Amino acid sequence: MQVNVGDAIPDWDMPRVAPERMRTMAAILRDPNPVHWDRKTVAKLGYGDRTINQGPLGLSYMVNMLHEWAGPYCIRRLVMRFPQVVLDEDHVIAQGVVTALREEDGQRLADCDIWLYFEGEGDRKGRLLEGTASIRLPAA
Amino acid sequence: MAMPDAAEIEALVGYEFPGGEYTVAHWENFLLTECTGAELLPGGMVHPVVMFHMPIIGANTSIGEMFALGQAESDFSIGIESYDWEFFAPILEEVTYAISARVTEADRRGDENRVFDRIQFQFDVAKADGELVARSTITWTYGRSGNAS
Repeated sequence: MQVNVGDAIPDWDMPRVAPERMRTMAAILRDPNPVHWDRKTVAKLGYGDRTINQGPLGLSYMVNMLHEWAGPYCIRRLVMRFPQVVLDEDHVIAQGVVTALREEDGQRLADCDIWLYFEGEGDRKGRLLEGTASIRLPAA
Repeated sequence: MAMPDAAEIEALVGYEFPGGEYTVAHWENFLLTECTGAELLPGGMVHPVVMFHMPIIGANTSIGEMFALGQAESDFSIGIESYDWEFFAPILEEVTYAISARVTEADRRGDENRVFDRIQFQFDVAKADGELVARSTITWTYGRSGNAS
């Protein structure tokens, strides 16, 4: 696998953030916070009548992008921040770029900036989630 | 709500959660992976997003208990600084892992406009023989609006 600094990671598209998946995820996470399944609660917080996607679900779209790029065992480290919320029905795209190449314990690693992009409405525009990833690269 | 003393927050460093075990069943991995919009990973690998809840539940704690430990004013007073996940080996379905967890950092920060406590939790996922498989480091901020007690 030939990788260079500055390479863009192929996009991973989530055309519709589904509220029914948030409800399943709330049960799996044992997370009782109603912002993930009760639109009335979210409306009181000023986000309108759309539920808020769990942080790890937004992160998972970037994990899926990395897996499709470098394989299912590629992730060595992820550091994520959550500056903006993702809402149900959003169309978001996981994106990333290679920022450095290095070796660790004989393994080739690519350090990457990764983010979840949203075309936007109002203040929620651009990168909703962002972070860094260290990726194990297959042999060249 | 009265603001806890800064010394009380700092004293959380070193706090150990009970710890325990966690096994990701196939059905759980199936549903979890479906929620992400991906296909199941090969070889019984669990989707890495399991690192959000597996360590917390496996350590015999909960998000609610972690909020309470830092004396959160409400669920909405919590801010996420970062999630840091490290993977040393794949996490596999139907394998029982040992989970241990502790508070590694806790201090008060801010200025005249905003005061918050920053608390960092570290969760280790290990094989039965003790080999570290993955580590989750969660850093949260606990917003404070009350007066110092």
